[in-house]
Amino acid sequence: MAITNLNQFLEDYFVSHRCQILENKDGILKIQLTEEMDQALMNRPFYWHYIKKIGQQGQPMDLTLITNPNKKNEKGEWIHFGSPRLQQIINHLKEKEKYTKLFQKVVSNQNTPLFPWLVVNLKMSYKGKQKKDEMISIGLQLVNGNMRLEMMDHLQKLPLQMAISDYCYTISPIIKLQSGFKRIESVISSYIENQTHEWALESLQELEEEIKTVQHFYEGRTEELEQMEKEIEEIKERYHPVISQEVINGGIFYLTE
Amino acid sequence: MDSIQVNKDTTFITELESILENDGPYSSWELFSMAYHAELTTITPEFKGLRAFEYLPHVKFLDHQVEAAEQVIETMNGRAILADEVGLGKTIEAGLILKEYMIRGLVKNALILVPASLVSQWVKELNEKFYIPAVAHRKNYSWDQNIIISSLDTAKRSPHREKILDIDYDFILIDEAHKLKNHKTKNYEFVRSLKKKYCLLLTATPVQNQLIEIFNLISILKPGHLGNYESFLENYGKDRNKIKQDAYLKQLIQKVMIRNTRQNTTLSSTKRNIQTVWIDFKQEEKEVYSELESAFAGFSSFSKITFLREICSSREACYLSLKKLNETNPNPFIEQVNSKIEKLPHHSKAEKLVELIKQFGDEKVIVFTEYRASQIYLQWILKQHGITSVPFRGGFKRGKKDWMKQLFQDHAQVLIATEAGGEGINLQFCNHLINYDLPWNPMRLEQRIGRIHRYGQEKDVQIYNFATKGTIEEHIMTLLYEKINLFEQVIGNLDAILEELNISNMESEIESIYNESSTIGEVKIKLDNLTSIIKSSMEQSQEGQNYGYH
Repeated sequence: MAITNLNQFLEDYFVSHRCQILENKDGILKIQLTEEMDQALMNRPFYWHYIKKIGQQGQPMDLTLITNPNKKNEKGEWIHFGSPRLQQIINHLKEKEKYTKLFQKVVSNQNTPLFPWLVVNLKMSYKGKQKKDEMISIGLQLVNGNMRLEMMDHLQKLPLQMAISDYCYTISPIIKLQSGFKRIESVISSYIENQTHEWALESLQELEEEIKTVQHFYEGRTEELEQMEKEIEEIKERYHPVISQEVINGGIFYLTE
Repeated sequence: MDSIQVNKDTTFITELESILENDGPYSSWELFSMAYHAELTTITPEFKGLRAFEYLPHVKFLDHQVEAAEQVIETMNGRAILADEVGLGKTIEAGLILKEYMIRGLVKNALILVPASLVSQWVKELNEKFYIPAVAHRKNYSWDQNIIISSLDTAKRSPHREKILDIDYDFILIDEAHKLKNHKTKNYEFVRSLKKKYCLLLTATPVQNQLIEIFNLISILKPGHLGNYESFLENYGKDRNKIKQDAYLKQLIQKVMIRNTRQNTTLSSTKRNIQTVWIDFKQEEKEVYSELESAFAGFSSFSKITFLREICSSREACYLSLKKLNETNPNPFIEQVNSKIEKLPHHSKAEKLVELIKQFGDEKVIVFTEYRASQIYLQWILKQHGITSVPFRGGFKRGKKDWMKQLFQDHAQVLIATEAGGEGINLQFCNHLINYDLPWNPMRLEQRIGRIHRYGQEKDVQIYNFATKGTIEEHIMTLLYEKINLFEQVIGNLDAILEELNISNMESEIESIYNESSTIGEVKIKLDNLTSIIKSSMEQSQEGQNYGYH
C-alpha cells in the first residue's frame, strides 16, 4: 500500500512530529514547525548555530504545502511526488524511522502474555540490463518459530503503542535475534532460488555478446590492452545480474499471539 | 542461480541489537509505518516503463521525446547517440533519461560535458525542469560531486583531467558530440578513457563528411559494434553515400542512435513563415554604393566586397572600415567617399526596420546583423523611436549572456545580436526574427532560426529577410538562397553536401566569384552555376538523410 493521499500523509507526518496544523483545506496545508523539524527541513544551520551561540530561543518557521495542483499558484510550495520537498521528507523518514519496539494494546484486567515477533521489511532489487524492486514484509515469532508474510498488512489491523499495557507481560524469546534473522534470510534465499530469472539470463547473454564485440574490436591491437580491459569492466558493471537486499526498517513487536 | 550476485543486508540486525540493548530510540508506529509506505511509493516494481513522469507533473513531453527516452533505456541499455535535428529537445530527452536512472537508483554520480557557453543553461534546465541537483564546476571544486556540469575544454586539462579519470562515473553526457568525430584528437582520446556506465552523446550532425565519423562516435559507446577500424574503413571507406545503400549498416546504426527530424515529429506543427523584405536605397546611398563598386578597382577585391556588404548594413560599419584602411593605406579616394558617407541621411534599411517593428506592437523581435557598428547604430535608432533593445554578442561572458537574455525576456522588446550570438541561447518565447543582414554561410542561417524555432515554441515563427535592391544582397538572395529553397526547408545535411562538393566555406566561395568576375553579368552566371550544383546534390542526398530512427 503506497501513499495514495498525499495531503493525509503529510498531515500525519507533521502531527506525528508534534507540529501544529495551522490550516488544512482544499489541498493547502499550513504547518507551524517545531524547532526539531525546522532543523530537519528548512536548511538553515547557520541560523540555529547563531541563535544557540547567543543563548536565545529560536523562532521555528511555518511552512505552507500545496497538494492540490489547481492551487499551485497560491502562496506556498507546490508539493508532489517529484518535488525536492517530498524527497526530503521521505529521506528524513527513511533515515530516522528504521528501528522500533512496539506492544499490542490490550484492555484487560487479567494477566496477558505478549509474544515477541521479529519484523523485517526488506527491499529486494533485481539489477541487470534494467532494474526492479520488490518489497517483502516478514514476521518471525521468536518463541515458536512461526513465520508470517505480508506482516505489515497484518500489523496495520492491530492497535500498537510504545508502552506495554497494564496487566500484560512479555515472554522471553527462545530464538535469538541473529539466528532469527538467519531464518528469515534462508527463506528469502529459497524464494530467490525458486524464481526463473529470465531477466538475469537476458542480461548475461547481452554481457557475453558485448564482451565478444569488444574483443573483436581490439583484435591485434596489443598496445590497447588496458583500454579493452576497462571497457570489459564497464560492460560487467552494466549488465552483471545482482540481487541486493536492503532492510528498510524493522524491530520487535510484542503481540498477543 | 549461481551467476547472480546476491548482496545481503549485513548491518541491520546488529544495529537493531544494539538499539534494543540501549532501549531506544524507537520509532512510533505511525512514523514506522509511514517510512514503509514511503518506500513502497518510491520503489520501481517493473523493469519496463518510465517512472519519471510521476515525478515531473509540470513538464509536458512530446511523443518523440518520450519514445526516445524509452528506447534508450529499454533497448539501448543506456548508451546512445541522440541525434535529433536542432531544436527538437535533445536536452529534454537526455534530462528525462538521467532522471529515470536516478529515480531507479542506477545513477548516483554523473559528469555532463557541454560547450562553455551552455553550462549555465544546462544547470538551470536540469534544476528547474527535472529537479536534478546539478552544479556547474567551479575553480577548486571537487569533481566528486553528484551531478556536475562542465565544459570539455576545462575537463580535459590538467589537473582536472587526472582527477576525472580517477572517478567511476555512472553516467556521462557529451553535448555537441560531433567534436569527437576525429579519433586522433585530444578530445576523443580523453572521452574514450573516461570510466563510465551509461553514456549519451548529443549531436545534431552525427555524420558530416565521412562514415568513419559515426564509426568513431559509436566506438565510444560500443566499440566493435560496427566492426574494427580497419575492416570498417575497407568496407565503407570515405563514402558517405554507402549508408543508404547498406541496409545492414543502417540497421546497426539505428541500434545505438536516435534521430528525429522535424518532419516526423509533432513539432512541425509550428510553421516557419518566411518573407523577403526589399529595401530601395535612396539616391545618395545609391551614389555611394556605385562609387564603391566602380572606383575600387585598384584595391584588393576582398575589401571591396566587404565594403559593399557593409554599406548595405549601415553607414557606420562601412565608414569605420574605410577609415581603418585609410590609416594604413592613405588614399584620397577613401577620404572622398567617407566624406560622402558622413553626409548620408539615416540608412534606408534601418528605417525599414523601425517601421516593421512598430507593426508588431509590443511583440518580441530578434534582429541579427553581421556588424558590431550596425548593432550599436540600430540600438541608437530604435531608442530614438521609443523601442527598447538589448545587445547580444558571442564575446559576452556567460553571466552577461544570461543577464541580457533575461532583460530581453522581461523588459526589452528587441534583442540585437551579432553573428556570434547565433549559438548558445534559446529564445522560444520570441517568434519574430529579422535577418537584417544575410549571412553568406547558409549553416549560420539555420543556427539563427534554430534559436527560436525549437522545442517550446508555441506560435508559428515569422522570419523576415532584408535585402537591398540593386546590390550584392539582391544577387545572393535571388540567385542563391531563394533558388535552393534555403528558407523553406530545414537545411539538414547541407553542410555535408557543401563539403562533398569541396566547398568548405561558402563565404569565400562567393567572394571568389565576385573577385574573379569582371562584370555583374559574369557574377550572375557563376552564381547560377553554383546554385544548380548544390540543388542537384541536395536532391540526390535527400534519401541519405533518413538513416536515423525512422
